[in-house]
Amino acid sequence: MGVVTAETFVGLIPELVTLGFLVLVLLLGVFNPQSPNQTAALAALGTVAVFASTVVLLASGFSGSFFGDGFVVDNFALYFKLVVSASAFFAVLAAARWAAGTGDAPEYLALILAVVLGSLLLVSMRDLFGIFLALELATIPSYALVAFDRSRRESSEGAMKYLVTGVIASAILLYGMVLIYGVAGSAALADVAEVFTGQLSPVAVLGLVLLVSGFAFKLSAVPFHFWTPDAYQGAPTSAAAFLSVAPKAATFAVLLRILLEGMPEAAATWTSVMVFLAIATMFVGNLFALRQRNVRRMLAYSSVAHSGYILAAFAALQGSAVPTAVEAVLIYSAAYAVMNLGAFLVIDLVGEDSTSYNGLIRNRPGIAVCMGIFMAALVGLPPLSGFWGKAWVIFAGAEAGTVALYVVIGAVVVNSVLSVPYYFGIVRNMFFEEPKEMTEEPKGTGAVTASVYVLAAATVLFGLFVGPLSALARASGLL
Amino acid sequence: MITTIAIFLPLLGALLMMLLPASFGERNVRYVALGVAAVPLLLGLYIYLAYGANLGAGALSQDVTWIETFNIGYRVGLDGLGFGMFLLSALLTLVAVVAAWDVQRNLRQYFAILFLAEVGMLGVFAAQDLVLFYIFFELTLVPMYLLVGFWGDENRGPAAIKFFLYTFLGSTVMLAGFLAFGILAGTFSISGLDAGAGLGGTAQVALAAPILLGLLIKVPAVPLHSWLLDVYVSSPTSTNVMLSGILPKLGTYGIIKIAIPLLPQGVQPFLPYIAALGVLNIVYGAFVAFAQPDLKALVAYSSIGTLGFILLGAASVNAVGLNGAVLQQVTHGLYSALLFILVGVIAARTGTRQIAELGGLMARMPWAGGLLALGALAAMGLPGLAVFVSEFMSIMGGFEAYPIQGALAALGIVLSAMYLLYMLAGVVFGPVERPEFERVEDAGPVEMTAIVPLAVLLVVLGIFPGLLIGIQRPAVELVLAAIGGS
Repeated sequence: MGVVTAETFVGLIPELVTLGFLVLVLLLGVFNPQSPNQTAALAALGTVAVFASTVVLLASGFSGSFFGDGFVVDNFALYFKLVVSASAFFAVLAAARWAAGTGDAPEYLALILAVVLGSLLLVSMRDLFGIFLALELATIPSYALVAFDRSRRESSEGAMKYLVTGVIASAILLYGMVLIYGVAGSAALADVAEVFTGQLSPVAVLGLVLLVSGFAFKLSAVPFHFWTPDAYQGAPTSAAAFLSVAPKAATFAVLLRILLEGMPEAAATWTSVMVFLAIATMFVGNLFALRQRNVRRMLAYSSVAHSGYILAAFAALQGSAVPTAVEAVLIYSAAYAVMNLGAFLVIDLVGEDSTSYNGLIRNRPGIAVCMGIFMAALVGLPPLSGFWGKAWVIFAGAEAGTVALYVVIGAVVVNSVLSVPYYFGIVRNMFFEEPKEMTEEPKGTGAVTASVYVLAAATVLFGLFVGPLSALARASGLL
Repeated sequence: MITTIAIFLPLLGALLMMLLPASFGERNVRYVALGVAAVPLLLGLYIYLAYGANLGAGALSQDVTWIETFNIGYRVGLDGLGFGMFLLSALLTLVAVVAAWDVQRNLRQYFAILFLAEVGMLGVFAAQDLVLFYIFFELTLVPMYLLVGFWGDENRGPAAIKFFLYTFLGSTVMLAGFLAFGILAGTFSISGLDAGAGLGGTAQVALAAPILLGLLIKVPAVPLHSWLLDVYVSSPTSTNVMLSGILPKLGTYGIIKIAIPLLPQGVQPFLPYIAALGVLNIVYGAFVAFAQPDLKALVAYSSIGTLGFILLGAASVNAVGLNGAVLQQVTHGLYSALLFILVGVIAARTGTRQIAELGGLMARMPWAGGLLALGALAAMGLPGLAVFVSEFMSIMGGFEAYPIQGALAALGIVLSAMYLLYMLAGVVFGPVERPEFERVEDAGPVEMTAIVPLAVLLVVLGIFPGLLIGIQRPAVELVLAAIGGS
């Protein structure tokens, strides 16, 4: 165990700030239960503080590894901490009014902060068991988040499915980690890397397969994606929005770290697994999304499909293409966060049935245009954020240049086209259909509406920042 | 800088349209839109007059690094290959604003979306970077989808999504080719990629295949055209102007500007087939047009047919053919826009588009009828009109490179004369078909404002084709130098 110094605390500032605000939010709930808005404001302030402290760490060029190299602060980790905390900010804004309605706002917001804490720790972990603990810290509160809407049966049902599959996934993941530990004699990624060379032993291969399968569950990759639509449909909108973005990005990040730092020599083995995983995930996600009439369910399958696109970048993690593939994961995660959070927030404002979008352009033109932007971005139309994510995946694939990767690129192209009917089904409803007779009272708060506009602007202008983002990604510690 | 300003001015125009208060009268909205649309055209004309002599090989360029890692830049500039279409895009947008008389509802939004599409069109013809080219290329997609899907006829919904799916499939396939090309060559700058940027023959063929396929879907080359008829027939007149006048040229221009000079060894094996597809367009378009009972569908197929000359001329890769192809892009836009507007005028006055129900319009509508005759004569390549020059050059070039294809294309001109004369006889001349046609009015001043400039240009460019060929010739020579043709 390394010595704990002042620097350790500096490196842990984002996590400590999160923990502090988590406690404050709960305390405020105890001592002042009649003020859910203050609690939400406090939680939002917490996410801003985490974001700001991470920016300071990034800007000051801070890096280091602590606790016997088990916890590392590098640009790679800090980048994902930015994505997580920014997503959490919008999730808290979206949650505020709904959570107040349940009467349990402090608990709900504290659960979100707990997921944030787990995700922040996750991206910095460099030790298999540390990774497992952080992953569970991010996952267990999310079961509760999904189950939080006690007024709807789907919420409990979704949470139950999520819990059962999630626990099985954790068991599989842990089993894989234990096998790898058994082979390497250590859980530190650096030590694991030493045994994952040359001809892999059967136990090591089994450990790798179980590990990847466990992560596939968490990332809702096919064939381990079945919990996703039920969980996202049942969850409160803010929870679904947040869970589809922040913990998922962190999980992708840590998987990237495990593969690149823990088993770089075995890349040939795991990239070939990723090829199949990516192609299957893209196709299944898009084909099932085509049939959905419920927008939340549609976005759940869409998130499966987007996991597939990101896994396509994992398939390109070989040879000289590694830096570009890592960049693709980083850029895709940020791009997906802005457009998907935006789309989920619009559900909060409009509704989850696809016909509730009919004629939205007449009733609420601003929101309709924003939703149109999110849908176009999810398709991958330029110059919106989703386009840059997909472009980077194709860059990585072309740099890797193998036949398998060209097949993956072909699958990305076909799937982009395949996704048009369901995303643009919403656009058609909004722009071309007559509004429903019953004009519902606008839901949501001004804060949610403002967030939608901000996220739409970020989706449109993403391309302007993709250059610096790429430079930042290049400088991340993982390359 | 002036190029960038010209490209993005319509974006400001679109914002302006949205900001106009709802109380602003319909008439005033039209005048404001007219003003907005006139600015890029005036800038374009200024560029033509001030820089025309230097435009040929490329001028007024701007190069800003965007994504350093992959050498992607915001690179724009005008050259002889694109300038004609650049100018035509600005012109046809103005014409479309005038011709938007059949758009009644949500006029401000209609114009705003039209201007958004114009940004994409102007941008494509000025882009000097593959990624930027693709972005502008795709920027036209959603606006056109919305224009058709919201303002089209009863069948607009399915027509719009069909258009979206087919052309998006094409452009995404093209994108994959572009991105792989740029990564392999180490830059996305079009000038940096000249003549394949040192890539070997096999790699070039592998890259050219998806790029050409994507572009041919966009054109569309027969048999990849099945999306086209529904969307043409369902669109309002002014959207037709853009759909037929500009959008197909995004595909043909991509072939001439990108596929041929940047992947010379890659396109070589495909060229005879592209020429054959061009001939197929010409012949198939003519035959199918002949069978159309609907005047608008006839014009649509005529428009597909004459796109074939661009493909034939481009595939010939000799000076005559390529110059013909580049010119045909502009002349095709002029005549097809003219015909679509006149179809709109006639349908609005008579209440029908069925050729069998029409007849004898010349008596009551001498202007509209006469100009329809002019447009049809232009379409069939009558000497003295602009289309003749470009079609003749395309056939000459095509015949030199591929005698069989060239000869068949010449036959296509005869076929097109047949259906166009038949159409004229049925619609314009002959006895007055119905008593109510005795009372129809001729095209009014607004309609004439949209039609006359196109007709005048068809005549002027027919007599002085050098006005455009002079600019495009140096650029065509650069293309030829890249592919090693004559």
